[in-house]
Amino acid sequence: MNKSVITEETVLQELKKAIVETLNADESSIQPESSLINDLGAESLDFLDINYRLEQAFGIKMARHFVLEHIEEMYGEGSAIDDNGQLTEKAVTLLKIRFGDKMKDLEPGMDMDEVPALVTVQSLAEGVMDILNSVPESCEKCGKSDWQAEEGVRTKCGSCGEPAVFRNGDDLIKAWLTKVQEEKKIF
Amino acid sequence: MMRIYQGVDIVEISRFNKTFLKNERFVNDIFSEKERTYCETKKNPQIHFAGRFAAKEASLKALGIGMSGAGIDNTFREIEVIQGKSGKPLLSFSGWPEKISNKRNIIQFTVSISHSDSYAVATVILAGQDVYNS
Ligand SMILES: [Zn+2]
Repeated sequence: MNKSVITEETVLQELKKAIVETLNADESSIQPESSLINDLGAESLDFLDINYRLEQAFGIKMARHFVLEHIEEMYGEGSAIDDNGQLTEKAVTLLKIRFGDKMKDLEPGMDMDEVPALVTVQSLAEGVMDILNSVPESCEKCGKSDWQAEEGVRTKCGSCGEPAVFRNGDDLIKAWLTKVQEEKKIF
Repeated sequence: MMRIYQGVDIVEISRFNKTFLKNERFVNDIFSEKERTYCETKKNPQIHFAGRFAAKEASLKALGIGMSGAGIDNTFREIEVIQGKSGKPLLSFSGWPEKISNKRNIIQFTVSISHSDSYAVATVILAGQDVYNS
């Protein structure tokens, strides 16, 4: 699973840099469990800046659809959000599996617009790690398995220099949902 | 019985421009082709882009979607501000915002956008039919 040549520590470091620059935050105030919205004061343009910076730094494409939307796409209308815009029990079960107990305030019936505040430095970094871990076995161009981390952040073929092509964030969320459904039969 | 949902948003144009100009993917990720064409024909496109961004944010608030998954969400582009015949802006939802709008039985929506040199502001009002009490 952990195929990335870029370490989680590097990802956290890049993310912290992005947060410091975007939010003028003091680096010591940024903890893995900090909520970007509640603790660090991020607004939506800030989220866009931070996500674009991560894409640029690592040569990746983050998800363009939130996990709740993917759930409804795959398991039908009403499977994630009810008619009042509130989280279903099944959606909460899935989010808890995905984010572990880091999102401890998650509960069925919470309004969907409260969910973004649950995004933490750690959960964002894990999203990036998932994409970095989707690096293929070998280089598409020369077939060698010799990934190197150029400047610590860019995954490149050590043999021919070709940049790695990762799967995008949305494909990975879909693959994850399929796997969890097979194992746990939530829907 | 009707239910009313409201959203308002203010955008500091200089702050908006920073994100707009720094990130190559921003304009195509956030704005539809129609919106880009409309804004780019204006004398000061940035003011119009910022006003539309405020309208998208106000819509997210009114719909109760909130900060849209806290990422570069397609939802921004799926909330479209189009020009009515009289030049008055109208809202059009597709994809996820359309789904949420249907869940809430939204039957009417209005948007109003205004700007100065420094700020753009938008309000969105949605009217939904309350199926439980009608
Ligand atoms: Zn190679």
